Amino acid sequence: METHGKKTFKGGVHPPENKHFTESCSIETVPTPKQIILPLVQHIGAPCKPVVNKKDPVSAGQIVGRSDAFVSAPIHSPVNGTVKDIALAPHPVIGRTMAVYIDADPDSNEPRPAAADPFDASFDPGVYSAEQICTAVQKAGLVGMGGAGFPTRVKIEPNPAMPKDTLLINGCECEPFITCDYRLMLERTWQVIAGIRLAARASGCGTIRIGIEDNKPSAIRVMAEALSRCSLSEDVEVVPVKTKYPQGGERQLIQAVLGRQVPTGGIPPQIGICVLNVATCAALAEAVVCGRPLTHRVVSVTGCAISRPGNYYVPIGMRVEDLIAHCGGLKETAAKVVLGGPMMGFAIADLSTPLTKTSGALTFLTREAVTRAKYEKQQTPCIRCGRCLRVCPEHLNPTKIAHAVKHFRMDIADSYYLRACIECGSRSYVCPAHIELPGYIKTGKLLKARAKKRLG
Amino acid sequence: MLSKITVSPAPHTSEKLSTRQVMLDVIIGLLPAVIAAGIFFRFRALAVIGVCIAACVASEWACNRLRRKPASIGDLSAVVTGLILALSLPPAVPFSVAIIGCVFCIVIVKMLFGGLGSNVFNPAMAARAFLAASFGAAMTTWTVPATVDAQMPPIAAANTAATTQATPMAWSKMALKGQVEAQAIQGQAQWAFWGEVGGCLGETSSLALLVGGIYLLVRRTITFHIPLAVLLSATVFAGVGWLLRPEAYVRPDFHLFGGGLLICAFFIATDPVTAPLSVKGMWLFGIGVGALVMLIRIVGEYPEGVMYAVLIMNAMTPLIDRLCKRVPAGGKPNV
Repeated sequence: METHGKKTFKGGVHPPENKHFTESCSIETVPTPKQIILPLVQHIGAPCKPVVNKKDPVSAGQIVGRSDAFVSAPIHSPVNGTVKDIALAPHPVIGRTMAVYIDADPDSNEPRPAAADPFDASFDPGVYSAEQICTAVQKAGLVGMGGAGFPTRVKIEPNPAMPKDTLLINGCECEPFITCDYRLMLERTWQVIAGIRLAARASGCGTIRIGIEDNKPSAIRVMAEALSRCSLSEDVEVVPVKTKYPQGGERQLIQAVLGRQVPTGGIPPQIGICVLNVATCAALAEAVVCGRPLTHRVVSVTGCAISRPGNYYVPIGMRVEDLIAHCGGLKETAAKVVLGGPMMGFAIADLSTPLTKTSGALTFLTREAVTRAKYEKQQTPCIRCGRCLRVCPEHLNPTKIAHAVKHFRMDIADSYYLRACIECGSRSYVCPAHIELPGYIKTGKLLKARAKKRLG
Repeated sequence: MLSKITVSPAPHTSEKLSTRQVMLDVIIGLLPAVIAAGIFFRFRALAVIGVCIAACVASEWACNRLRRKPASIGDLSAVVTGLILALSLPPAVPFSVAIIGCVFCIVIVKMLFGGLGSNVFNPAMAARAFLAASFGAAMTTWTVPATVDAQMPPIAAANTAATTQATPMAWSKMALKGQVEAQAIQGQAQWAFWGEVGGCLGETSSLALLVGGIYLLVRRTITFHIPLAVLLSATVFAGVGWLLRPEAYVRPDFHLFGGGLLICAFFIATDPVTAPLSVKGMWLFGIGVGALVMLIRIVGEYPEGVMYAVLIMNAMTPLIDRLCKRVPAGGKPNV
């Protein structure tokens, strides 16, 4: 199997990969923490409402929050225990949100084992109907686990208005440091493949492409070999792609693997493509075959400032500080705690922030890793060098957008396609003036959203 | 523990690159030209360069002090401006004239417009235009390079007893007017390539400028678009003239090596602040500069056209930026 990938998109950057911290660490089970905090916003779409009350006993897998809206996913308790409170909790992305606090029962909670791969080559997705799969996915509360958290059911369900023909599996993991998807592909190969085939069956896609960056040759080999041992009715191929950030952005991956371009402001189904992350596929297989809701996920705990980096199978809702304690604590040099990778992750200030369905990694950066300029926030004037234009994977003009937002000229920002920005952070990575371009663009999008609300 | 953790928007890591590093690269790229100037015009050249850099840095520092702003001289942009201005002055320029030029370019052209990144015109070129208009004689007195001897052909050493001589571009102008044969001078493009001709401090040695330009390209401090566009359009323009009337128009290579075209292509037109952002815009800008240089050299009254060509295209830059908006990867959205 050729593991070298030439396929890619135009633009992008090459940050140091730093995968060595955790790439050889097997997925490890984490003991059940004393308390779990389940934020009621863990996906894109309508937030959930709590369906349990204070002091209610809950069992593992029981629904604690749900919404009747179509674009939403229910939230389940990962542990047996009692609802302690329903109150505000810190949230990595939106600051604060309502959350269900659950005190775990110390006696009846065996940690969920990490290793077992209950699937093999003989798995036949044909025994499940598309409808069965979609219902199971919705019941299990599955969302895209790569970061955005879009409810999976909405993605895979056939839509007559936008027929899908190709299922694209995202195994790029282009963010530096993160290795959770890589370990999943190595250790739970059959589970991932079962999930992929179930998703293809549910969505009616006859073509499956699995895009993996060529810095993970063993994952490419293992996946390709496993697929060759299955009797497949679908057209499946593992496609090695060039290692470059943001190769794992769905628009960039579609361009690299399929050579197709999602229209600006559009979504992949418009051109007949459904993109799923490998972790989502693994969870999908568990949900459909074992009936297990999404209550646990693999998280890479990594970076120079943590004592024992590794890939951990953790209950969703576990607090960051509990996981830090399990990993031997922070080193003195820690300067930044990032939920996610260093390019798109969210820096958190409150270590009691819980992990959510979309947290693939916890990265602990030192002052050196953050780099001096970023650390001290020394921004100098833009010298119009054009580096941000050259690396922008969406071919935008980031500096013009940032300047427009800075002066509250939303009309100009719009004319440079503010909304088409995927906030990958490449522009800020290369900017010699250390301008916090993503900050301006996030502000711009926020201002737009507010203006729209006022009008609507 | 919490007090030690910082929070900021993503990304949380970045390339080890700063404005200072970019400017430092330009300075390193100009070093060969500085050394060449030292060889051909001896101590005088280095003195002019030193005075210009000092005057530019001092002016910027004074502006910062007056406006009670933090000192910005650390980004080295004033050093680059001073260096480029010095390299585009005649070797015999009086120090007072050089200093006036430096103060003008930093205070009027750069700081009054808002400092680094906000100036509309290339400060060095604007100051040079100001000096050319104010001190005409001082700005057109060209010293004979120190290495020239009597064996050299006329263009390099028209008269070794003299202390001043015409630049290659002035010779080409004479050919246009029928005072000399174009063929007689274009064979001497090699002297212009090495740098043993009259001219501004930094523009005489094409070899040194090429070395520096290639360094900038390799370091990716500049992209190839603007230099290539400038040189191509100038070559095409000059080539057409040469093919039509070889007795009056000199060969294109004479135009490339004889005047300020190379320093313009690699170091002046590529000034990011005053050049367009998009690749399409860079091509347009470069083609415009190259064509205007040749237009001024061939049709206009001046023997050299780099300065005005760059200034005119600088003024066009906002327009070009507006004209050449990038189309997003997914095409224009249907709104």
